[in-house]
Amino acid sequence: MTAFSLFRRGMVAGVFLGAIFCAAAPFPEKPITVIVPFAAGGGSDTFVRIFLKAIREHDLAPQPFVVKNIGGAGGTIGSRAALEAKPDGYTILCLHDGMYTAQHYGNADWGPADFTPIAATGRSGVVVAVVENSPYKDLAELMADAVARPYQLVYGTNLGAPNHYSALFLQHGKPGAKFRFTQTGGGAKRLAQLKGGHVDVTGFSVAEYEPFKEAGIRALAVLSEKREAALPDLPTAREQEVDAIHGLMQFWWAPKGTPPDRVAYLEKLLRQVMETSTVQARLAQLHVEPEFHVGDDLQAVIQERSQDLEGLQLEKPAALPPVHWLVLGFVGLCSVWVWREGKSV
Amino acid sequence: MIELFASPTLLGLTLLGVFLGITVGAVPGLTGTMLIALALPLTFTMEPVAALVLLVAMYVGAVSGGLISATLLRMPGTPAAVMTTLDGYPMARAGRPGRALGLGIGASLVGGLVSWLALWQLSEPMAEWSTRLGPFEYFSLVILALALLAGMGESTRSRGLLAGGLGVLAAMPGVHPATGELRWTFDVTALNEGFRLIPVLIGMFAIGKILDDLTGADGKVEQANGEDGAWVPWKTWKTQAVNLLRSSGLGTLIGVLPGVGANVGSLAAYMTAKRASKTPEQFGKGSEEGIVASEAANNATVGGALIPLIALGVPGSVIGAVLLGALIVHGLQPGPLLFRQNPEAVYAIIGSVLVANVMMFALMLGGARWIARLSAVPQQVMMPVITLCCLWGAYALNGQLVDVVVMLAFGVIGWRMEKAKLPLAAFVIGFVLAPVAEENLCAGLMASGGSYAPLVTRPLSLVMLIGAAVLLLRKNNVSAPDTSS
Repeated sequence: MTAFSLFRRGMVAGVFLGAIFCAAAPFPEKPITVIVPFAAGGGSDTFVRIFLKAIREHDLAPQPFVVKNIGGAGGTIGSRAALEAKPDGYTILCLHDGMYTAQHYGNADWGPADFTPIAATGRSGVVVAVVENSPYKDLAELMADAVARPYQLVYGTNLGAPNHYSALFLQHGKPGAKFRFTQTGGGAKRLAQLKGGHVDVTGFSVAEYEPFKEAGIRALAVLSEKREAALPDLPTAREQEVDAIHGLMQFWWAPKGTPPDRVAYLEKLLRQVMETSTVQARLAQLHVEPEFHVGDDLQAVIQERSQDLEGLQLEKPAALPPVHWLVLGFVGLCSVWVWREGKSV
Repeated sequence: MIELFASPTLLGLTLLGVFLGITVGAVPGLTGTMLIALALPLTFTMEPVAALVLLVAMYVGAVSGGLISATLLRMPGTPAAVMTTLDGYPMARAGRPGRALGLGIGASLVGGLVSWLALWQLSEPMAEWSTRLGPFEYFSLVILALALLAGMGESTRSRGLLAGGLGVLAAMPGVHPATGELRWTFDVTALNEGFRLIPVLIGMFAIGKILDDLTGADGKVEQANGEDGAWVPWKTWKTQAVNLLRSSGLGTLIGVLPGVGANVGSLAAYMTAKRASKTPEQFGKGSEEGIVASEAANNATVGGALIPLIALGVPGSVIGAVLLGALIVHGLQPGPLLFRQNPEAVYAIIGSVLVANVMMFALMLGGARWIARLSAVPQQVMMPVITLCCLWGAYALNGQLVDVVVMLAFGVIGWRMEKAKLPLAAFVIGFVLAPVAEENLCAGLMASGGSYAPLVTRPLSLVMLIGAAVLLLRKNNVSAPDTSS
């Protein structure tokens, strides 16, 4: 309780001081909320907090930036909140390729076109990994088996999320290859499932994979255009004749209709943040390439990413039991049971 | 490891964390998760070791503080304290709140210490073991836990199952846990996420209780007599030794499993204690063994949940995920190499489990005498305060008014369920475990290509399902209902 009220007081004081000192400044005149559509402590949350820490440390903005974690449903709950937020520049969203994949998969009926993009900051490579004692020595062997025995290799993914799409790009890059997809959740869960032999293959970002590479798993390929600096010995998929390119980029979005001068301010700010030594050093640690796109360049990146998804074939996973109706039936049965007991007493 | 805690700063931070944790744990409506999420940004400016120590201390404090409100008000601060309400509250009502608190506090300490020992010495084998459980094993484990609900508290088997089933049903609206599709949201955007745990929990227990008191159904509270003290004599602990160790062990073991740990840990320990007890009929009426089992197990799950984090870099709980984030923000690389690269961070986590548990014991035992007096505060004073706390807590969670509405609605449901003698604890456990069961069943089916066979061909899964069937079918009672939920 104490921490919370202190925090609230701090916020109030911040707003108050801000109002006094920045009355002349047009924007921002109050704290800016950054919606992170995932739980506190996750990869995206950490990424945003590194940026906000740099803004604070280098005193780049007259107003504080505040993280608001709205997690759930693969980021769509948070992105919907941003979609419906007031377009005044005081609420923005940081969401990676999940913005594209959720729409393509059908988990969200909005997508990149419904927002005003501010900037893209940083790209992570994606690796395909198997367990250490797996029979597959390289990606070519794995994909050949996926052609020879379609729908038999179990691929652990988070359905509708970017790591699912990495696998779809793999299938696309090797005609005839088919995986059997299963839901395994975030990176840490995928590691446990891979180690336990519950899935045959899965994907990680380079940052997720790096600490685990000596823990009994082995990468087969990286899905980047050229080898990643952090993993110089790991060949790309293209080197192994699988035409698949995929990576994870972090995008900053404003609700559609946000005044252009405010978007321009945020764009300039993000560029300054990106150039700070703090951010450069931390991104290097996380094996994030410090790519930065704004303006026409950014539009081209978004266009290309949206088009890449067009060619992908989606297959919904095996039919699942209608658990909610079964539960309703079970509750009905129990009610009858309780009612009859009540009568017989 | 202990040298770390020779520093007064770290000791002070642990004390602060434990104190804040106990406070939020004890106030209905506030939770440890909330405290930790608020504290996380503040720790970014601290030394990594200090930040980890503070966060772990908060977690230990919050899990322990939950026993205060569970015992004195019958309002569990977290689902992990639900089982404590079953016996702690009746004992407090019978004029022995101090004794109930003392038992809970002592058991919490033992649970914490046992899990600390496992965290320190057995992390690697236990983490390896936990990866061998696949989706089908998780599903069968939850079914086993739901079958345990049938024998809970004073209610009949049918009522336990019905209450559990209703809890599972309440978890259905919102996003499908495996496919991400929406169901039963009736085009209400606010329902996309389903009902959140905290509003449901506060609503069922706190608001339901308040409604109950308002309608005047409540009896008189016995005044505490002179012999009621929180200092539980050594002799009592000796008779509880087996129960303590068994419950702590179960809590640690089950705590390792992400998503199910804390809740199933205390449920399993409680039901095992009831089975082993010479006086099972006392369970649900103020049994000492019940309090000890639940509290030893829920504190043991704290250490258990940190095991996969230390050994594999996989978070086993909410605190695990937050600690993982804290490590990354501070530039430490979580994962199996953490031990080699940053041993001081690992020792900070392990050490603070130990130190925080000891401090929790001292703080709570020292304060128990005063805390116990709370149960003598007149209802006219207590109720408005608790109501305000609940309203604020539900709102503060996400700043959404809909959470307050959900809380009030579940308050009415909880109140009606009590009238119908349906155990609330079973409802909450069903609600918490339903998404875990469904996600794992669906993940398993996707991996097996739609075949249910692994449920019975995988040995561990088969054993757990047989266990569930035995629990449901034993004794004379009527037919066993469908367990495929």
